[in-house]
Amino acid sequence: MHEVSIIQNVVEIVTEKAIENKFTKVTKVSLRIGELSGVMPESLNFAFKSCIMDTLLEGSTLEIEKVKAIGECIDCKQEFPIDHFNKLCPCCNKFCSSIISGYELYVNTIEGD
Amino acid sequence: MSEIKVVTNILQTNDEITSKNKKLLDEKGIYVINLMSSPGSGKTSLLERIIAKLKNDINIAVIEGDIYTTKDAQRIEAQGVPVIQINTGGACHLDAEMIKGALNSLTLDKVDLLVIENVGNLVCPAEFEIGEDIKISVLSTTEGNDKPLKYPLMFEKSGAIILNKLDLIEFTDFDKEEFYRDIKSLNANADTFETSCVKDQGIEEICSWLRSKIENKKSSVK
Repeated sequence: MHEVSIIQNVVEIVTEKAIENKFTKVTKVSLRIGELSGVMPESLNFAFKSCIMDTLLEGSTLEIEKVKAIGECIDCKQEFPIDHFNKLCPCCNKFCSSIISGYELYVNTIEGD
Repeated sequence: MSEIKVVTNILQTNDEITSKNKKLLDEKGIYVINLMSSPGSGKTSLLERIIAKLKNDINIAVIEGDIYTTKDAQRIEAQGVPVIQINTGGACHLDAEMIKGALNSLTLDKVDLLVIENVGNLVCPAEFEIGEDIKISVLSTTEGNDKPLKYPLMFEKSGAIILNKLDLIEFTDFDKEEFYRDIKSLNANADTFETSCVKDQGIEEICSWLRSKIENKKSSVK
């Protein structure tokens, strides 16, 4: 994945929100990242450290919450954990009708003064 | 200190442009393919064969994505269809902004089918929506049948998967049974095709499948 460009987008989104809320400093940024999104938290942390220099985010901490991948079976009205290699309904063994979560990539909350 | 709920998609800029691209293409009833694979698996060769069979009754346009050169665009141009080459200059995938630029340079009014050939890469192109109706991934027998499990995202997100270079399978240890089992575990809903460009095998099947997709898209705007 493109951890640096992702973090650049994060810095942009957070800066805009911070200004909107009259923050002079951002202290914490929380992201929600889906298990299937293909993004590595370690690389995000590394990119974050370099990209926040000389921004409102300088000195802030990055929190990454992993979002579990969940599939749904319309027939059985079931929601169940899935991964890349197994998306079968545990009840009827059919391939899941839809993927409810797992591809998330978003800025959830920010903290600041 | 205070906490603010943001809940904003990190790729929102790309997604916003994607929606605009999609709206434009939907209004014109153009069926759009995002064609993806490793370098050298035969995307352009397949496209040449498909264009040759469809171009008499279907208006096709092509956007070619490569890091450098216009080699692929020249091959498509030789087929007599409009083509725009995007050189990413280093980027490993196409994004919505690049497609927006290319769409501005194409005359879309009479187009029925737009094929966007992504940069040869089994990873990144799958992560960026560009305004397509379907992602199609191509795997060639010489790459080995282990690739879908090693690079799951692209095969997981594809609406159709093409196994190309079937004429070479006897020289490889490609295990078709394992390949289809793996694909089913990743994405049971994908349509699958087997092709050989040198033997002109399987192309007709893809073309008739494409015709019905194009027809469906057209009738959705009528």
